[in-house]
Amino acid sequence: MSPELAASLIHFLGMMLLIASFWILTSSQIGACIRAYATHSFLLALITAVIAITNHVEHLLIPALLTLVLKTIVIPHVFFRIIRRLGIRKEVESYINIPFSLLLAVLLVFVSFYVTGNDKILKPVAFSEFIPLAVSTVFFGMLMMTTRKKAINQVLGLLLIENGLFLMAITMTFGMPLLVEMGIFFDVLVAVMIMGIFVFKIRDAFESIDADDMTVLKG
Amino acid sequence: MTIERVLLMPLIFAFLCLIPCPKRMTRLTFLTGAVLSAVGAWLFVFGISWSPRVFAFNGNLMMDSLSAVFVLLITSVGVLSAVYAGGYLFKEGDSSISPSRLRRYAFFFHLFLFTMLLTVLSNNLGVMWIAIEGTTLASAFLVNVDDKKSSIEAAWKYLILCSVGIALALFGIILVYYSAIAQAAAGENGLLLDWTFLLSKAKQLDPQVLRLAFIFILVGYGTKAGLAPFHSWLPDAHSQAPAPVSALLSGVLLSCATLGILRFHILTTVATGSAFSGTLLILFGVLSVAVATPFILEQKDYKRLLAYSSVEHMGLVAVGLGFGGVLGIYGALLHIVNHAFTKSLLFFSSGHLLYLFQTKEISKVKGIFRKNPFLGIVFFLGILAIAGMPPFSIFVSEFLILSAGFLAGKFVPCVILLALLALIFVGFLRHTNEMTFGVSEGPPVSERSFLMDGVLGLGLVVIFMMGFYIPGPFQRLLLEAGRVAGGVTV
Repeated sequence: MSPELAASLIHFLGMMLLIASFWILTSSQIGACIRAYATHSFLLALITAVIAITNHVEHLLIPALLTLVLKTIVIPHVFFRIIRRLGIRKEVESYINIPFSLLLAVLLVFVSFYVTGNDKILKPVAFSEFIPLAVSTVFFGMLMMTTRKKAINQVLGLLLIENGLFLMAITMTFGMPLLVEMGIFFDVLVAVMIMGIFVFKIRDAFESIDADDMTVLKG
Repeated sequence: MTIERVLLMPLIFAFLCLIPCPKRMTRLTFLTGAVLSAVGAWLFVFGISWSPRVFAFNGNLMMDSLSAVFVLLITSVGVLSAVYAGGYLFKEGDSSISPSRLRRYAFFFHLFLFTMLLTVLSNNLGVMWIAIEGTTLASAFLVNVDDKKSSIEAAWKYLILCSVGIALALFGIILVYYSAIAQAAAGENGLLLDWTFLLSKAKQLDPQVLRLAFIFILVGYGTKAGLAPFHSWLPDAHSQAPAPVSALLSGVLLSCATLGILRFHILTTVATGSAFSGTLLILFGVLSVAVATPFILEQKDYKRLLAYSSVEHMGLVAVGLGFGGVLGIYGALLHIVNHAFTKSLLFFSSGHLLYLFQTKEISKVKGIFRKNPFLGIVFFLGILAIAGMPPFSIFVSEFLILSAGFLAGKFVPCVILLALLALIFVGFLRHTNEMTFGVSEGPPVSERSFLMDGVLGLGLVVIFMMGFYIPGPFQRLLLEAGRVAGGVTV
């Protein structure tokens, strides 16, 4: 792959990634949200693979493959099973409406470009344009966790944060050592399973999966 | 014994506990597992206490005197809590828990011990992160044992808040790794996240990146350690978990996360050559004590009272570490140990209280002393100890921490802490006076569990003894650990 082609491919993928992040944040149906997350992870896997090939760091291909298998196929599949078995209403309920979250998201993108603009501290090993994208993905994840009512959306927010950190790790350092990277994948997978079980428990006890029904404990 | 075996023991017993068999057998496996893992760990720790560092698994696992202290702590409180659980959760009667649920409980209990041991024994900071996330995942099911609304809510908050916190810590680790990569020579790639390696190269790491990393680590692991203002999961999880689990969460889980912060604190201090991380620790420590104080004064639920007291004590530990110096660090480590034993004793007695009075409300618990004199004595003495009354051990370590502060010339935080500690003392006495000595309704209770009362008695002896006398080998280990925490490179 020639450097110019690689650079424009990376530009393109980066843009798509940002669009996918917006898609997760603005979709009004849980199903669409999960599909957007799968797309986001798919793009992440592609970016990882491109970085691995252009910079000749072959060990990065393993995390890329794992991202493809786990985050693009397995985890979304688990989510779809959960929502089918829960039989919940499909709309995403939020404390703030979608146009306003879109506005906040745009602001957050600006903020992430601003805070990472000082490249004296952080000089990434690979394409530096991904640093603000990674930071904004983390921000989006947090926004999602704080504004969404359903427990399942909070889990998606957490996964989005994790995606952002993964992108951060591969662009700044070509990924953590393989042992650590595998451990993180394992943890994420187990976390999704356990949170999935808890979503069912919440449904059984509260007869809904709205996290704002959980107000027993105070003080 | 080797490090691998110390770690394998609880893991093996976790799976053994899953074997479907009668309740008695599960209980036997569960207790044997806890005792054997503890004895194995103790033999290992005291067998090698002369060599400074022991490595295993390609240097990813490491035990120095600092982690040795935590291994002892985890296994000791683990045994106490397992024995207590043997009486508390495995009791027969109409409120008994189904065998399959108990097997799952026993499984996660041992798994929880395993992840905590892995946390303190990992040299690779990434592995440590994985282990800390593992502690959250393993203990979420322990917090929710009864599937009640409130327990599920507590477990959910615990899962979500700690996972987000830990995600931030991961960002800090990425930054540290990034700063190491810039300085790496060829062939060192596998070592770059090893704490020992980073410490030996600390002077060459970019101090600015490390400062940034420490902030993320402090927020991330601080969530897990219960430092204010990231502590909001803590009172919920501690109050809803069954007594033996609360004891483990409060006594050792918080301390394990503190060890995570401490490792980075050592690294940052050596790398930047400044008191940056120490100052932050003092700031968040004092804030934690300050935030906990009003909640302790106005608390209505005795388990939440104990939980907020954990926030306070973790704050004190952070302050001690921040003050630094031999005295401050030794005091903080001793405080971790003392708090672990005292607080687990109190949570165990809260299990008794819940059984006797069937409520967690302070105002509905009256006259423990009349109802069960033994419990009354243990509970009241435990409260005096946790509030910092001499001659109990907590007083000694609080005294050491504050003296370190005065010696370091940090008068403002010390004076604030003294005032807050006095308020907390008053708060504790106000709540527990009526609880212990009030007039009780109903006759005295004679029903006893030998196991559970034994744990309370033993705990009381330990916290009383630690106030006067720390056994020689343990004292040596603590001093050695203080030296490691002081950033002395071996």
